[in-house]
Amino acid sequence: MMSMSAKKDIREVPSYCYNCVAGPDLMTVRVENGIATRIEPCHAAAAIHPGLGRVCVKAFGLVQKTYNPHRVLTPMKRSNPRKGRDEDPGFVAISWDEALDTIAARLNDIRARGLLNEAGLPRVAATFGHGGTPQSYMGTFPAFLSAWGTIDYSFGSGQGVKCVHSEHLYGEFWHRGFTVAADTVHTRYIISCGANVEVSGGVCAVRRHADARIRGVKRVQVEPHLSPTAACSAEWVPIKPKTDAAFLFALIHEILFVHPRRRLDLAFLRDRTASPYLVGEDGYYLRDPLSLKPLFWDEISAQAVPFDTEGARPALEGHFTVTDAMTRGPDEERHPRHNAAARTAFTAMADTMAPYTPEWAAGVCDIPAATIRRIAAEFLDHACIGETIDIDGETLPFRPVAVTLGKTVNNGWGAYECCWARTMLATLVGALEVPGGTLGTTVRLNRPHENRLKSVQPGEDGFMVAHFNATGRKDWQATPTGRNAHRTLVPIVGNSPWAQALGPTHLAWMFSREAPKEWPQPELPEIWFAFRTNPAISFWDTAEISRAMARMPFIVAFAYTFDETNHMADILLPDATDLESTQVIRIGGTKFVEQHWAHHGVALRAPAVAPRGEARDFTWISTELAYRTGLIERYNAALNRGAAGAPLKGEGYDFSLPTKHAHNVDTIWNAVCQAATAELSHGADIHDLDWFRAHGHYVVPFKREDWYLYPTMARLGLRFELPYQERLLRVGEELGRRLHEQNIHWWDSQLDEYLAVPQWHDVPGRWVRAIRSQGGDPADYPLWGITTKVMAYTTGNNAGIPLMHEVSANLRGHGAVIINAATAQRLGIADHDWVEVRSPTGATEGRASLVQGCRPDTVVIPGQFAHWKTPFAKDLVFPSLNRVVPLSLELTDATGSGADVVRVAVRKIAPPARAGVA
Amino acid sequence: MTRYVMVADLRRCVGCQTCTAACKEGNATPPGVQWRRVLDLEAGTYPEVSRVFLPIGCQHCANPPCMEVCPSTATKQRADGIITIDDDLCIGCSYCIMACPYDARSLIEERRYAFGETPTEPEAARLDKNAVGVASKCTFCAGRIDAGTARGLVAGQDPEATPLCVNACISGALSFGDIEDESGPIATLLAENRWFRLHEREGTEPGFYYLWDKGTL
Amino acid sequence: MSESMVSRRQRYWDLRAAGNFIGGGTGSGLIVTASLAAVLGAPFRAALILGLAAIAAGLSLVWLEIGKPWRAFNVFFHPRTSWMTREGIVAGALIPLGVVAAAVSSPALALITAVLAVGFLYCQARILRAARGIPAWRQKEIVALILAAGLAEGCALALIVGPRDGVWLGLALAAGLAREAAWRFYRTGLAREAGAAKILAVFAAPSARRLDGLRWAGLGLIAAALVMRLSAVAVPGLMISTAFVIVGCMLVVLGGWGMKMLLITRAAFTRAISLPVVPIRGSKKSHAH
Repeated sequence: MMSMSAKKDIREVPSYCYNCVAGPDLMTVRVENGIATRIEPCHAAAAIHPGLGRVCVKAFGLVQKTYNPHRVLTPMKRSNPRKGRDEDPGFVAISWDEALDTIAARLNDIRARGLLNEAGLPRVAATFGHGGTPQSYMGTFPAFLSAWGTIDYSFGSGQGVKCVHSEHLYGEFWHRGFTVAADTVHTRYIISCGANVEVSGGVCAVRRHADARIRGVKRVQVEPHLSPTAACSAEWVPIKPKTDAAFLFALIHEILFVHPRRRLDLAFLRDRTASPYLVGEDGYYLRDPLSLKPLFWDEISAQAVPFDTEGARPALEGHFTVTDAMTRGPDEERHPRHNAAARTAFTAMADTMAPYTPEWAAGVCDIPAATIRRIAAEFLDHACIGETIDIDGETLPFRPVAVTLGKTVNNGWGAYECCWARTMLATLVGALEVPGGTLGTTVRLNRPHENRLKSVQPGEDGFMVAHFNATGRKDWQATPTGRNAHRTLVPIVGNSPWAQALGPTHLAWMFSREAPKEWPQPELPEIWFAFRTNPAISFWDTAEISRAMARMPFIVAFAYTFDETNHMADILLPDATDLESTQVIRIGGTKFVEQHWAHHGVALRAPAVAPRGEARDFTWISTELAYRTGLIERYNAALNRGAAGAPLKGEGYDFSLPTKHAHNVDTIWNAVCQAATAELSHGADIHDLDWFRAHGHYVVPFKREDWYLYPTMARLGLRFELPYQERLLRVGEELGRRLHEQNIHWWDSQLDEYLAVPQWHDVPGRWVRAIRSQGGDPADYPLWGITTKVMAYTTGNNAGIPLMHEVSANLRGHGAVIINAATAQRLGIADHDWVEVRSPTGATEGRASLVQGCRPDTVVIPGQFAHWKTPFAKDLVFPSLNRVVPLSLELTDATGSGADVVRVAVRKIAPPARAGVA
Repeated sequence: MTRYVMVADLRRCVGCQTCTAACKEGNATPPGVQWRRVLDLEAGTYPEVSRVFLPIGCQHCANPPCMEVCPSTATKQRADGIITIDDDLCIGCSYCIMACPYDARSLIEERRYAFGETPTEPEAARLDKNAVGVASKCTFCAGRIDAGTARGLVAGQDPEATPLCVNACISGALSFGDIEDESGPIATLLAENRWFRLHEREGTEPGFYYLWDKGTL
Repeated sequence: MSESMVSRRQRYWDLRAAGNFIGGGTGSGLIVTASLAAVLGAPFRAALILGLAAIAAGLSLVWLEIGKPWRAFNVFFHPRTSWMTREGIVAGALIPLGVVAAAVSSPALALITAVLAVGFLYCQARILRAARGIPAWRQKEIVALILAAGLAEGCALALIVGPRDGVWLGLALAAGLAREAAWRFYRTGLAREAGAAKILAVFAAPSARRLDGLRWAGLGLIAAALVMRLSAVAVPGLMISTAFVIVGCMLVVLGGWGMKMLLITRAAFTRAISLPVVPIRGSKKSHAH
C-alpha cells in the first residue's frame, strides 16, 4: 500500500503519549517529507519501559488528530453574545494579538479589582481534563496560573465525581495511594471489583497482567458485566451493581470467623496497624492521661500502656478494663475514663463485621455464598503468610494477594466501605504495600508528587501525617473559598493544589444555579479557562451542565475543534497539539495506575511537525499572557521554582532564567532539560534541549524497593491507620457540629458515612429511592444503567478521530446499549434494534447490543458520547449514560463523590431520523 | 527453508485493537479496510460465559484457497510462505475474498479518506493509486521484513524486520518469526504451549497459530 | 462460540455478480434446450441466440463489477486451478462457436455449443463450490443445484420463445422438478453443517418462501398445460394451456432468478469462527501450589 517514492526525507522524532492517566508512554513519530505519517513504539525504550516502549491504541490516532480538517486553526471570538446550545456562537477569526489583548484586558481589570470577589471567591476559574494529563500538554501554563494567584478549580468535567474518587482520598490517607493497584509483577491472586485494568490500566498494566496470566496468576473479576478484564480473568463473578461492599465485608467475615487466626499476618496487624489500640465505649481511643497517646494492652505487664512502649507485647484482640485513661473526642473534648471497658480496635472491627456472613451477602449481592467462601479461602491460601522475598538486596514480606477496585465501586455511596474493606483485606494478611500485595501508586493530595515515600512523615497517634481541612470551631472554613465548598464540606480532601478539583465538583455547577439558602448565591467566575476538557458531554445531566456553562460571562477555551463546551466560549485559542509542541515531563518511578518502573527520569515532547495554521505552542501562549498581564517576573520565578516540571536551580546546578524579561519556548525548555538531568544525575549528566530532541528521554535507576511503602513505614516506626477510623469519627462529628451550628442540615446523610468501622447500609437502595425524589416511580425503572470504558477512548478526548471509531467498532457494544440477551428477548428487543434508555431526568437512544456476558438486571453504555457539536463524533448518534444520570445531592457521598450508576427503563423504539449516519 | 508464521497468545490478548490501529496507520489502509483486526467473541450462556479476543487476518496458508481461485495469478506464495497480491495483475474480481475461510481480504473499491471527500496531508502523501480496485490483505509487512533481513536483522526479533502489529502489541500476544528455525522463539513457543489453528479441517495449513494453554497436546 | 459476532454478509458480490449466475445458468440452459431442438429438427436459433445473449449479458455484468475492468484479460491467466479462468476460457470458445452455429443454423455446431454451455455452467457451479469463505456456496450440493437450475430456467425460457410441444413441456417440468429436488438436497445438506442457521433463515424468510411459491406455481401451471395437451382438449383449451405455459414458465424463470439473487447476496455470509477451546487466562486452580 505504501507508495515508494525514490527520495524521501524521513525523520523519526521521539515523543510521548500522555493522553490518559495510565501513561506517559514513549513513542516515535515518523515524519516523511515534513508530514507526520505514523506513530511507532519507542523501541529504544524497551529495556527501561515496563511496556517495552509501546503505546496504546490512542497514540495511533494522533496523526489523524494533527491533520483533522475540523481543527480550529486561528484564534476566534464569539460574535453572538447570546449563549446556549441552540445559539450559533458566530465565531469569527481574529489575530493572536487581538485574542491575547482581549483576555489580558479582562485579567488586568480583575487584577485591579482583586483576585477574589466580594464573597471571597476567585474571579478566575480554570478546568482541565482528566487526571492531570492536561498538565503534560499545557507547557508552562502552570507557571502562569501560579503567577496569577488564587484560581477556582472547582468546576469539574467529571474529576472528583466520576474518577475513582474515594480511592484517591482514602487511598492517600491510608497508604499514600492516590490510585491503587496490585503488585502484578509478584502477585498470585487478585480480587478485582470492577477494576477494568485491561482497558484503562495502560500499556504497562496490560503487559504486566498478561505476563502474570502466563505465570499463572488467578484474577477473580467481580462486576456486573463481562468487561475485557473479566474476559481475561480466571473467573467472572457477576455482582449486582453497588453491592461490592457487602461482598468484601463477607470475605472479611469469613476470614475472621471461619478461618483460624494463624492464617492472618498477626505480626503485621500488631506492629504496623492500630489493631491493638484500645477503644472505649464512646468509640474513641483510650489514651494515656498525660501524653494522650493511644493505649494498647500489654500482655506481659497485663496493663494498658502507650502504643509506643518499648518491650511491650500488645494484645491484638480482646476486651479489657483500663484503670486510668482519657479519651479525646470532637472539638478537643477530653474525658477522663476510669475502670473503662475497652476492646481492641481489631475486636471492634471484628464485632462490626460479625453479621456479614456469606449467606447474608449472597442475598445482597446475588453471589452464591459458596462462591464467597471459596474466594475467601483462596485469598488466604495464596497469602504466603510468613514468607519473604528479596527485592534489590532487601528482604521484604511476600504476600502475593491483592484486592483492587474500579470506578463506580470506589466512588459514590458505598465507596468508603469498599475502599476500607479492600485495604482491610490486605491488612489482615499483611499484604498492604509489600511485594505481591495491594499498592498505592502515587500521591496528589500529598507532596512531593514525584516520590510518595517522601510524603510519609510521622503524624499523630503513631500514624503518618494527614492533612485534613480543619473542622474545629475556630478554623473551620464556614464560608466556601471555592464554588464547590471542598474545604467546608470534605475534610479529608485537604487543601493542596489538587484538592479543589477533587472536591464535589458537581456542586459548583449545581450551586451556580441555586446555592443552599444558608450560603450566598455564588457569582460565576468572571473568566473561565478550559483546556482538554468537555464537561458539556462528560459530566452528568449534560443538558443542565450546558445551561450552567452558558451563563458563564467569559470563557476562554483552548480549542482543538469546535465542541460542546467551547460552543459557549467567548475566545477560542488554538494550541499546538500532541505532535506540534514542546514539553518535558517526568516519566517512570511509580506514577498513577500501574506505571511501576525500575527507572525514572524525564522525556521530551518535541514538535514532529510545525503547528497547523495559527496554532501556537502552549508555552508561547502562557508567556504572552504573563507578559501582557504584567506578571512576567512572577511567571519566570514560578518557572525557576519548578512550575515546568523541574526546579531550575538545585544543589550543584543553576539554570535559572532571568526574571525580568520574557523567554522563548526553546530557551525555557532548554533550561528545564538541563536542570532535570542535573537533578536526576546529581550533576553527572547534563543534557540540553538538542540532546533530548535526538534521544527523547533520560532515565536513571529507580529502586524497586521504592514501589512499596512498607519499608518506609517500618523504618519510621509508623502504623497504617487501620482497622479503626477514630480520626474520621472525630472529624465527622466535628463537621456535623459546625454545619448544624450554621443550621445546615442538607449534608446530614453524608455525615452518616463517618464511622470508625464502616457498616453496611442499603447502598443500591439509595439509587432506587432517588427515583422518588426525582418524581418517578421506582417500579418504572427496573434496570441498572452503568457505563464502561473502551481503550481507544479512555480519557482520550478523541471522539472526533475516525480511526478510534473504526477500530473500536470491532468490539461489541461500541456506541450501543449492551443488554443481556434474555432480558432483551423479554423486552422484545433484537440485536441492533434501536432502544431508549430512560431515567426520570433524561433519556438516551442507541442500538441494542445483545450479549450473554451481562447481568440480566443491568444495561451498559460504553464511553461518553452523545456529542452534538464535535465534528465527526456528532454524526455517530451514540448513546451516553451521562444524559440519564442526575446531578444529585442525595446521591453524593461524604467525599463529595457520586457514581456512574442510575436506575433506568429500556424500551424498543423506531430508529431516529439521524440514525443512518452511524 | 524459512516459513514465516504469526503466533497469537489468546491468554494475553485483551482486544485493545492497538494492532489494528498500528496496521491501519502503518500500511495506510483506507477507512473500513483492516488487514489485522481483533474479533470479540462470546461463548456460553449467562452466567457461564467466556469472551475471547481473537487477532485475525491473512493466515498465510501453506495451501491458500485464495491463490487457487485467483484467475489472474495476482495472488502468489513466496518461498518464505508469505502470500502476496500483485496490484498490477489483480483484476479486482473479489473471488479470492469469497474463497478465504478467514474473511481476511478486502477489495479497496474506491478512494476513501478518514474525514470524507478530501484526503489529509498524510493520506495524500501515502496515496497508492495502484491499490484502488484491487484486493488487499495483510502482507506480514513483507516489505519491512525484506528490508530488515537484507540488513542482517532477524524477522520477529528486531523491530525493523518485524510486522507493525507485532511491534505494537501491548500485551505481548503477537509473535512472529520463522517456524523452521527449530531453536527459535516461535518453535519454542509452539513446543511449550498448546495451540490450535483456525478451520484446521480445511487443510489450508495456516501460518497463524493460537496459543491457549501451557503444555503440549 | 457466538457465530453472529463474526459471520457477516459478504459485501463485494452484489446483484451484478448474481446476474452472471442468472445469465450463465439461464443462457446455458437455453443453449442446451436449443441443441436438443436442433437434434430433433425443431427450430433452435432463437433459443440459441437468446442463450448466448444471456451468457454474454451475465459476463458483462461481472465486467462492470470488477475493480479493474480494463485488465479483464488477466482473468485467463490461471487455468491450472481457477474455475473463474476456466469459466472465461469456456465462454471464450462458447460464444463465437454459438454465434457461428446460429448464423449457419448448424445442428452439429449447436450441439458442440451445448456441450461447452454445460461446461460453462459447470465452471460457474465450481466457482461457487470453491468459494470456501462462503458456507452457502461451498456446500457440495451447490453444483447439482446450479446445473439443475440452469437447465430449468433455460428450458422454461425456451418454452416462452420457442415451440411448446408436449415433449418440451415435459422436459421443462422435469428440469423444474429436478431443480426443486436439488434445492431441497442443497438445503438438507446445509442443515447438516454447523452454523448454517443464518443461511437457512434467509431461505426461510417470507420473501424466500414467496419465491418458492412462485416456482411451484409455475411448475403447477406447466403441469396443468401438459395434462391439457395430453388430454388433447379443444382449441380454447390450447389457448388456455398456452397462457398457462407462458405464465408458468415466467414464474419458473423468475422464481429461479430470485433464488440465485438470494444465494449470491443475502445468503452469502462469511464463515463464522468457531474456536475449539477457550484460552486459559491465568490459573483456574483453587489453591496455590
